[in-house]
Amino acid sequence: MDEFQEILQDFLVESFELVEKLDEDLVELENTPEDLELLNGIFRVAHTVKGASSFLNFDVLTHLTHHMEDVLNKARHGDLIITPDIMDVILESIDLMKTLLNTIRDTSADAGIDVSACVARLDKVSNGLEEGESLTSNAPEATVETSAIEDVPAEEEPDYDNMDPDELEAEIERLLNQRQEEDKAKREAKIAAGESVPKAPPAPSEEAESKREPTPAPVSPTPPPATISEAKKESDVKAAAPVNRAQTSVEQTIRVDVKRLDHLMNLIGELVLAKNRLIKINDDVEERYEGEEFLEELNQVVSIVSLVTTDLQIAVMKTRMLPIGKVFNKFPRMIRDLTRELNKKIELEISGEDTELDKSIVEEIGDPLVHIIRNSCDHGIEVPSVRMAAGKSETGTIALRAYNEGNQIVIQIDDDGKGLDANMLKNKALEKGLISEKEADNMSDKEAFSLIMKAGFSTAAAVTNVSGRGVGMDVVKTNIEKVNGIIDIESEMGKGSSMRLKIPLTLAIIQALLVGVQEEHYAIPLASVLETVRISKDEIYTVEGRSVMRLREDVLSLVHIGDIFEVERILDVSEHAYVVVLGLGTSKLGLIVDTLVGQEEIVIKSLGEYLKGIDGIAGATIRGDGGVTLICDVVALMDMAKGVKSTIMDNDAGKESSNEKTKASDYTVMIVDDSKTDRMIMKKALEPIGVTLVEASDGQEALNILKSGEHSFDALLIDIEMPRMDGYSLASEIKKYNRYKNLPLIAVTSRTGKSDRMRGVESGMVEYITKPYSADYLSSVVQRNVNFKSEFL
Amino acid sequence: MSDKLKQIINKQSEQQGAETLDQSDDIVQLVGFVIGEEEYAVPILAIQEIIKPFTWTRCPQVPKYVLGVFNLRGSVIPLIDLRVKFGLPPKSHNDETRFFVLKQDEDVAGFVIDRLTSAIRIKKQNIGPAPDTINGDDTMIDGVGKKEDRIITILKVDKLLARDF
Repeated sequence: MDEFQEILQDFLVESFELVEKLDEDLVELENTPEDLELLNGIFRVAHTVKGASSFLNFDVLTHLTHHMEDVLNKARHGDLIITPDIMDVILESIDLMKTLLNTIRDTSADAGIDVSACVARLDKVSNGLEEGESLTSNAPEATVETSAIEDVPAEEEPDYDNMDPDELEAEIERLLNQRQEEDKAKREAKIAAGESVPKAPPAPSEEAESKREPTPAPVSPTPPPATISEAKKESDVKAAAPVNRAQTSVEQTIRVDVKRLDHLMNLIGELVLAKNRLIKINDDVEERYEGEEFLEELNQVVSIVSLVTTDLQIAVMKTRMLPIGKVFNKFPRMIRDLTRELNKKIELEISGEDTELDKSIVEEIGDPLVHIIRNSCDHGIEVPSVRMAAGKSETGTIALRAYNEGNQIVIQIDDDGKGLDANMLKNKALEKGLISEKEADNMSDKEAFSLIMKAGFSTAAAVTNVSGRGVGMDVVKTNIEKVNGIIDIESEMGKGSSMRLKIPLTLAIIQALLVGVQEEHYAIPLASVLETVRISKDEIYTVEGRSVMRLREDVLSLVHIGDIFEVERILDVSEHAYVVVLGLGTSKLGLIVDTLVGQEEIVIKSLGEYLKGIDGIAGATIRGDGGVTLICDVVALMDMAKGVKSTIMDNDAGKESSNEKTKASDYTVMIVDDSKTDRMIMKKALEPIGVTLVEASDGQEALNILKSGEHSFDALLIDIEMPRMDGYSLASEIKKYNRYKNLPLIAVTSRTGKSDRMRGVESGMVEYITKPYSADYLSSVVQRNVNFKSEFL
Repeated sequence: MSDKLKQIINKQSEQQGAETLDQSDDIVQLVGFVIGEEEYAVPILAIQEIIKPFTWTRCPQVPKYVLGVFNLRGSVIPLIDLRVKFGLPPKSHNDETRFFVLKQDEDVAGFVIDRLTSAIRIKKQNIGPAPDTINGDDTMIDGVGKKEDRIITILKVDKLLARDF
């Protein structure tokens, strides 16, 4: 009873959430009837509610949702256009579903509501029998009747005709159990309410055989419905509540609003950012004041703060952790029911139910696990006779395990069934047009296995109550990816298959690899990074317009991060590049980046409503220096990589900005010198020829002027000795930019040593004028370097 | 002493009363700014803050007028260049450039404007509808305000904050 209550609570919370969302979605659907994504989502909700309710034996609810699902499935496949009339029927059925859920919440049973009228209308819609009769006519109010005895069989009857005797017997027994449970609940409620109740009658056995009365009336010890007044019912419910509360108070816990925990987590996020910043400042200070005594102390404080922050983060994370057992608990019952339904013998082995996961993740993985296990039961494990023939034990085993692996939780579902047939999967996918012939040929077995998670792929020939609509595994993939998890499938024909879900411990704070491309930085979740390799340009080959490289035994396809994120190539690309090997399940991709910055703990922030859903970007984080760094969405990245044209090799050699010069002032020269007098002297020397002059007092300023792009310069006169950034550094900075490759840099300095001249050449200076110089000499050097046309003189 | 205090309090409340009278319904408070050659305005209550420009991070896969995102005290906020959005050529930022942070419900975004003018109080009857040539629900213009010799285009905050790509 306890266990049932717990599952029931979960079911109700989940269902109410789903239904709430459903309302919004449906209304939106009416406006955009061809939105397949939305339709798929709605369909999945019906599917999930149906699945869960069937395990909890809420037959009326299952019955209703099954028919809803039929209608939605048709719409999803384009066999049905959602008209307002049809929408009315769907909405009505949703309302009915809500009423049912409310009844379940109050009474732990879904009896007493008549859904047949609505189901009939749903059927009509799904069968396309749109006769003159309006669908919306006389929608009867869902009437809550106190007696379920008439209703339940009335709805179930049609199904019995199609059942074989074994199934029927199982069904009857199930109904009896349900009935007894209901009665028991009612009795208990009454006992609690201080009413004396007759002892439970013996379990009926004779009546159960009778076909037409699967829920025999004699079982019911309750007085005739008419005598139960509404007031009594209310008191029943009230009385039942304290019983539940008494059970929970045994646990030594405090209930805390999740919002408070979320707030705490946000604060910790801010703290982690501050910590990162502190570490960065500490590094800077260390560099500047090397050897100073106070550094030691500062170092100690910084490391304590960072240590405590990390501990605090872990501690808060733990408060949000729930044992995965909460999800696992509902599976034994589910397997039991499934074995009966499918006539198979299946044993479930559970281990690691104490493994803890973040609350939000636990909530997300419930659905996927239900689908995976149902799939294993339905498609994986064979029927006993086949198993015997294959030399296996009659009873199939499904093992459900959870364990920690580094920073991740692994949930593993193994079965010893027939395994996946890679070729069969490929053919099926080809048939459905999900992959091309060529793709199928190149596909490894592992890749073929992951086909089962593609939307619209289903291997079951018939639509059963258990699975086979081709949504299940699709839901799995979507939900797992939502929590940044990955799915790994392994299988051996005839031996069984194994599915591993790797899920991060928490969502808010992750380890990331920071990479640089040109002047930008991006963060890649470390969980998806397999390795990094340094390569030189000639290790990159081009195959059919795509870049690839050889990584040990394999050929790895490459894509430049700059091509995906449309980064402007302003800096010259060096001979070497780094390849970050990304792995996601079975697929791998090499991401070429310019630099590797390092590993950092980052706090994920959303980009907000305005920018959400940008391809390839999962969010943003704030770095130690206060800047924003975007986080790559590895899943999307891999998709995008397929459509990106490679431009790694072609270095469009800086478009010459050789604007036609029509007068002397079209030439622009920048004078970079920290001494005002020196600048004045140079100005005096160059003014006579009429060129435009721009002044900068140090290297940094010069670089900023250059970058701002306000002027296009024809030459730079650079002093060497300057504060902030000296002439050599300035020259080498400028030469990093493609478009300044050919900009003449002229050193004007009093340094005359040979080594100084050499450094000048190394850093990219073309001329070296030593102070003092004559005005004419300077002018002639400048004229020569800017190709000054003599007619302007 | 307490009498004096009372007097002061009375006086203050009187003043406040006078002010509230002044701010009666038919006056709209706006903040004006310039983009290109024209003056625009948004309701003062929609403005979270106005800040001097600082660095931002470019964002890929977005239209040209979305410059990227920036960090406003721990929140990541999109930055939109209104010059580009209004079809003007981009201009490098100078001393007068400001980031205008607008907020409506949960939507927040920063907008780059050329220059701030002033806070504007304008009577409701002096605000006309958007010109007929710009019609439909798509327009970003809420109305046109006339104040002395100026004409001020009042923008819709929700349209500014709405994603249109």
